[in-house]
Parts: sequence; C-alpha cells; structure tokens
Amino acid sequence: MQGLESFFEVGLNHYLILSTLLFACGLAGVLLRRNVIVIMMSIELMLNGVNLSFVAFSKYMAMLEGQIMVFFVMTIAAAEAAVGLALAVAIFKRFREVNIRYFEQLKG
Amino acid sequence: MASESFLFWLVALLTMAGALMTVTLTNPIFCALSLAVTMVGVSALFVTLDAYFLAGVQLIVYAGAVMVLFVMVLMLFDLKHEVKAFTRGIFSGALKIATVGLTAGLVSGAIFATMRVSPPTGEPHLAPANDLTAALGQLLYSQYVFGFEALGVLLLVVAVGAVALARSKGGTHAGS
Amino acid sequence: MDAQFFLIVLLFSPLIGFLINGFRYRHHSANVAGIIATAAAGLSFLAALALVFQLVNFAADSQAGTSAVHRRLAVDLFQWLDVGLLKVSASFVIDPISAIMILVVTGVGSLIHLFSIGYMHHDAGAAKYFAYLNLFLFNMLVLVTGESLPVMFVGWEGVGLCSYLLIGFWFTDEQKAAAGMKAFITNRIGDAAFVLGMFILFFAIGSLSFQTLNEGARRFADEAPLGWLHPITLATLFLFIGATGKSAQIPLYVWLPDAMAGPTPVSALIHAATMVTAGVYMIVRLNALFMMAPLTMMIIAIVGALTAVMAASIGLTQWDIKKVLAYSTVSQLGYMFLACGVGAFSAAMFHLMTHAFFKALMFLGSGSVIHAMHEEQDIRKMGGLRKALPITHATFVLGWLAIIGIPPFAGFFSKDEILWKTFSSPLGHPLLWVVGAAGAMMTAFYMTRLVALTFWGESRVPKGVHPHESPPTMTIPLGVLGVLSVVGGWLGIPHLIGSAMPFHTDNILESFLAHSIVPLPGGESSDSSLEVGLMLTSVVLASAMAGLAFLFYAKKSTAPARIAEALGGFYRLVYNKYFVDEAYFRALINPLMRASQKLWYYVDVSLIDRTTYVLSDTIRGGGSFVRSLQSGNLQQYALYIGLGVVTVLSIILVRG
Repeated sequence: MQGLESFFEVGLNHYLILSTLLFACGLAGVLLRRNVIVIMMSIELMLNGVNLSFVAFSKYMAMLEGQIMVFFVMTIAAAEAAVGLALAVAIFKRFREVNIRYFEQLKG
Repeated sequence: MASESFLFWLVALLTMAGALMTVTLTNPIFCALSLAVTMVGVSALFVTLDAYFLAGVQLIVYAGAVMVLFVMVLMLFDLKHEVKAFTRGIFSGALKIATVGLTAGLVSGAIFATMRVSPPTGEPHLAPANDLTAALGQLLYSQYVFGFEALGVLLLVVAVGAVALARSKGGTHAGS
Repeated sequence: MDAQFFLIVLLFSPLIGFLINGFRYRHHSANVAGIIATAAAGLSFLAALALVFQLVNFAADSQAGTSAVHRRLAVDLFQWLDVGLLKVSASFVIDPISAIMILVVTGVGSLIHLFSIGYMHHDAGAAKYFAYLNLFLFNMLVLVTGESLPVMFVGWEGVGLCSYLLIGFWFTDEQKAAAGMKAFITNRIGDAAFVLGMFILFFAIGSLSFQTLNEGARRFADEAPLGWLHPITLATLFLFIGATGKSAQIPLYVWLPDAMAGPTPVSALIHAATMVTAGVYMIVRLNALFMMAPLTMMIIAIVGALTAVMAASIGLTQWDIKKVLAYSTVSQLGYMFLACGVGAFSAAMFHLMTHAFFKALMFLGSGSVIHAMHEEQDIRKMGGLRKALPITHATFVLGWLAIIGIPPFAGFFSKDEILWKTFSSPLGHPLLWVVGAAGAMMTAFYMTRLVALTFWGESRVPKGVHPHESPPTMTIPLGVLGVLSVVGGWLGIPHLIGSAMPFHTDNILESFLAHSIVPLPGGESSDSSLEVGLMLTSVVLASAMAGLAFLFYAKKSTAPARIAEALGGFYRLVYNKYFVDEAYFRALINPLMRASQKLWYYVDVSLIDRTTYVLSDTIRGGGSFVRSLQSGNLQQYALYIGLGVVTVLSIILVRG
C-alpha cells in the first residue's frame, strides 16, 4: 500500500510539493490578476511557498541555515510590501485605479 | 504518527484553500483575508517542522504587520468587487496557465527525481525548541551578523523611500 | 659639365614646360603656350646633343684599349624602391642605343612642337595640348633613358596616358574619345603582359636592371636551346606581347588606325615617330636576353613580317590620308620587329630612326594638307594640290621616295639592310624575305597612290575650299625633316656600297651601336653578289610598283576600279581591314560585355544585393519582433521569466 503509506508517513516530499503548489498559486496570481495589490499578495504567497521549503529542508537536513534564510526573506518581503504599496498609492493617486496596466506608463 | 499526519493534512488543506481563494476571489478584501488564512496556515506548518521562533515571526510580521498594511491600503483605496479581475487575451491566458502548470509539474518532477536518486539519509534530528531558538540567535548574531545589519539598513532605506513615494503627487508625470 | 646636369635638363625641361602650361592652360594663348612648349623641347634637344657629344668623345678618349669602346653614361638620381630583394633606383643611362632615341625623340619632337604652333593656333585648348605634348616628351625620355624595366615601365605607362589624352584631345566628339579609350585599353592588355614578363625575369634572374638582365641572360647560354617553357622564353614572349601592344603589331595593332582621331602632329610624334617604336626599342635594349630565346625571336620575326604585309595590304585600299599613313606605320613597325626577330638589332634601330624622319615628315605633310583643306581627310576629294602647296608637296615627295626605298634616300638603306639581314641571318629565312619584299612592293604602291591622289593629277577639291600653303612654323619643320629623310640613311650605308664610294663611309651607325648589341651567332654573311642582286631586285620591284600606281592614279585610269571589281569579295575583305575589329568585337568584346552584364545582374543584383537585403530585412524584422516583446506590460515580463524557468527546468530534467 504505497499510497496509504505516503498518506500516513508525512515526509520532506509532502512539504516540498505543498510549497511548490503554493508557489504555483502565487505565480498564477501574478500572471493573471489585474489588481496591483492582489498581485503583491500573490508575490507574498510565492515567498511563503519558498519559505516553507527552506524550513522543511532545515528540519530534514538538520541545518539551521535554512531558518536564517527564511528570516532574511521575511524581512525583505516586508520591505518589498512597503515599497510596492507606496507605489500603488502613487499610481492610485494619478489614475484613481490600481490596475497593473497603468504601470506601462513607467516604460522608458 | 497518525496524529501528526492528520494535523499536516488538515493544515495543508487549509493553506492551499487560502492560497487558491487569494488568487481567485474578485473582491480584494476577501483576497486579503484568504491570504491571512494562508499565513496562519504556513505558521502552523512551521510549528510542525519544529521552527517555533519562525512560526512566531511569521505570525507577527506577516499575518500581523504586512497583512495590516495590505488591508489598510485597501481600505484607503476603498476597493470593492472587481468586474475585470483577470487579464484579457485567450492565447496569453492559456500560455500563462500552461506556464504555471508546467512550472509546478516540472518542479514536482524535479523533487521526485532528486528524492529517488538521493533521499535524505538518517533521521531528522534537531535540538529541543528553546535550544533551537538560542542556536538560531547565536548563528544570526555571529556568523550572519553582517547580513543582519545590512537588512537593518535596508529597512531604514525602505521606510524613507516608501514615505517619499507615498508623499509624491502621484503618477509618473508629476507636473501634469 | 657633367652628364648628370645634362640628363636632368634633358628630362625635366619638358616636365617644367608641362607644369607651366598645365597649371595655367586657361591663361595662355596658343602662341604663348606653343613657344613655351617648343622652348622646353628645344632645350631638351640641346641637352641631348650635349650628351651625345660627350658619348662620342668618350670613345675618342679611351680608344687606346679595346677596339670596341664601351660607351656608357649612367646617372643615378635616387633610390626609388627597396623592397626585400627588389632594389630599383631611379637611374638613367645614355649609351649608343638610347643616344639615338633621345636624339630622335627630342629632335623630331622639337620640330613637331614647332609645327604644332601653326597647326593648333586656332584651337581654344592649345595650351592644354602643348602641356600634354611636353608631358609626353618627358615620359618618352624616361622610357628611353631608364636603366631598368620598372623605370622604363613608368615612361611606358606615361606615354600611354599621354597617347590616350591626345587621341581623345577633341573629346567632345564621342568617336574620338572612344578611339582614345580603345588605344588605352588595347595597350593595357600589352602592359599586363609586360608586367608579367618583368615578374618572370625578376624570378629567373633576380634583378630588373638592363645591364644585369643582359649579363644574366648569358648564364643560360649553356642550357641552349631554351624550350618554350623556359622562364627566359616565357619572359621574352610576354615582353614581346607588351611590345605588340605599344608598337601596334598583330594582334594588338587595332588601336593605331583609330588613334588618328587625334591632332595630326600628335599622330606624327606619338603614333609614328616615337611612342610606337618603344616596343622595338625595348627589344633592342634587351637584345642579349632576347638572343637567348631563339623561339621568341622566331615568333617576333613571323609576327613582324605578317604585320608588315597585312597592314600594307590594308593600306592599299584606304581613302583617308591619315589612315593610309597609319597602316603604313604599322607596316614599317612590322619591318622593325622583323629585323629584331632575325637578330639585326642595329638594322631595327636604323630603320626606327629613318622611319621617324620620313614618317613624321609625311604625317606633318598630311597635317599641312588637312590644314589647307579645312579638315578634309579623304584623298578622293584632293588631287592637284602640287600647285597650291609647293613646299608641302616637295617635302612630301622626299618622304615618299624615302619610304618606298629609292636610293639614296633614307628608307632605302634601312629597309634594304633589314631585308638583306632577313635573308642572310642565321635566324632569318628566305620566306621571310619574300614576305618582306612583298610588303615593300605594296608600300611602294600605296604610297605612290597616296601621293598621286593627293598632289598630282586633276584637282577634285570641292568648290568653296581654297587650299593655301601653311605658315612658316609649319613649313620649316617640313623642310628640316625633308633634309633628314634624305641624309638620315647615310649614317648606315652598307659596307658594300660604302667601299665603292670615293670617300669611304662605312656603316657608321652599326659601329656606333656595336658594343651595345650582341653579334649574330653565325657571323655576317658576305656574299656580295647575292646582296647586290637582292638590293637591285627590291629597288626594281618597288620602282615598278610605284610606276604602276602612278599610271593608275596620276593619270586618269579605270584600272583600279576594275581590279577592285574583279577581286570583289577579297577587295571588300581588305577594304574593311580583314574585319579584325568586327572579329574582336564578336569573339572577345561582346561576349565579355554580355558576361559582365550577366555577372552584374545575376551575381551583383540577384545574389550579393539580395543577400544583403534579406539579411537586413531579417535583422530589421527580428528587431521589430524583439521590440514588440518589450511592451511595458509587467505581466508579460513575468511570463517571460516563467517561460525561462520552464525552459531551464526542462533542459535539466531531460539531460539529468
């Protein structure tokens, strides 16, 4: 009963697949949504997916460096959210909307 | 073991559900709330992985600070249900979905292939929780102290930059 | 004074004349320009006289030593080329061969300059004309005095350029411009061969100076006889092809008749007296080398004889006074090559000199006639000009007597020497003599025809044209050249006649040239009765033909027309110059033009241009496609990242 065993024996694979799915969800959101704020939420999703894989590796390979990395990622994610939202505010002030296509105006 | 498995599956389902709703719901407020659910789920998963400190940070920073920031901005913009939540274009849409699917499939394939070739050897073994946090602190303030300090500077710069951006008149053509 | 000074005067006074007239040709009237140019040429002639005087005295000083005196004045001006093994210095040499040439070139050249003052006085571009003429003189002097093949080649190309410029002098007439181009292009073929010959010689002997070449040739004496593929044979053949281009021999003679489009003094100077003899001069200069290659000598003799007889036969039928003289020139040059081919180099030089006198005289005479007739050149519209142009007539008759070989005029001695050497030389052959004698008969006929139609008989001058005698600037050169046409031959009176004369004048020219020219291997034949017999035969035959032509053309006779009628197709063949031009066009020029057009269309337009267009279009299309990728749409950019990730992962998975 390979399938049943893998159902009960939760291992590294389970966490990695889950993190992949989270990442894919986030990617889909980034590619498909129009609202800038939702897109940034999707980016947070992707980051969380990656964080999950780091922590999982950290546990299963008995190395703390993974968690250090997650710590850094979280900080940078917070910073990115702050800047991104500031940009969104700027765009909103100009166009009264937060559609991603207004960012085309930034094209050089 | 069974209880741990049950817990994992429950939290995993919750997280995935939150993630899917974040991407698919058309009202940004609901998206934000679903994202909060996901954050909490991930935090719980961290707990199952014995990363208690990170679980806490996850809750405080993400589910707390970042989510509050999002919701605040949404409230500020007074965004409601969106009519056109997704990008147009059948071909490009199909291409994007295919890309997402392929990425997921290929990464999964890579995971399975790697695990078959070299599965992690031995039992996962980390120290008890309080020792772990202490060890994390030791590592952070000794070996990775430079990165830590750099992050501090980065946060300062970001804080200033965000304020500057938000204070601008808006748009890319400030004069008009 | 030393030789260097005179040589510099000799060379550079025409060049300075060219510069003066060339830079100020808009400001000089015809007379001023003419006087400047003639003075430059005259100064050059004086320098040439001084040099030759030195050369002759040279002999007297060192008479004590050997019997044959090595007369040679060499002047080294500067090092011109120093490339690896090739060292060429701009050095010039005056020895008996070039001494004759510089006298002829500057002497005849000065007279023709003088003549041109009268001939060109009404022409608006006279200053330009005189500038070209002086430039030609400079280049010709470089050609004849140069001590190495490269220096000679400079002059060789220079005279070609001047020839082109002067043939097309009235370039507004498209036909005349085309004649200039024809001369230039035909000469290019010969010049290419000349250069190839130089390459081979440098390869075989390792130097290009005449002295080392002539000495180096003796190295190959042991290998004699040299085969067809021996470098010396090949090199001499290539040089000879170069000579056929410059000296208008078969197969490259076609440009010379057309070159008559230029002003008549130009025809006299360049296309009769000097430039066209450059090929002969070059072969004489390298006589020791050419003697090493008997196969080449055979070719030269055959080509010379054929050219002599073929051009003479075309001359029989032409109606244009200058065309007749042009074919006559080709024919006489054929004799010079025949002489070279049988090893009689001194005879070639002798004929070169006498021909320069009498042919320049006849060309200038024809110029005087054309001038008097208001640019009419058709001898059918002349006749009876004897009374209107007495001086021109008298001098022309002297030239006529010289060229048909009546003793004691100049042409008799030189032509007879050639014919006798052709018969007697070990390299000669009786058949060549027969061909040469036939050519001499034809020469007598067509020259008599020309003189008779132009000067004698009834006047056929159109009404409204009143021929008048030319001004003194034109008649003085005619007189001087007339005298030279008489006495010029006395320099080379053969031993046979000389010994019979009261004051013993042997062949002065031959002994003068003796040291510079390799003697014939078999020695001189001295069958005096045979020599007298042949001499008398040729004189009698020439006189008979001249008398026949006199009867045909001076008296009213229908015989020529009847003969032409009877010969029918053959007459038309000769009249149309054997259709050589047409054959060249059909066999070479038109296919070349068509091939070039095809190449232009298929290779250049269709292949090269199209390739570049396709390339540029591809790049432009690719560029606009890539530009469309950078739309500014952030999600599209994210998609590219995603696609990149997919690609990289696929590659890793497939390969791993």
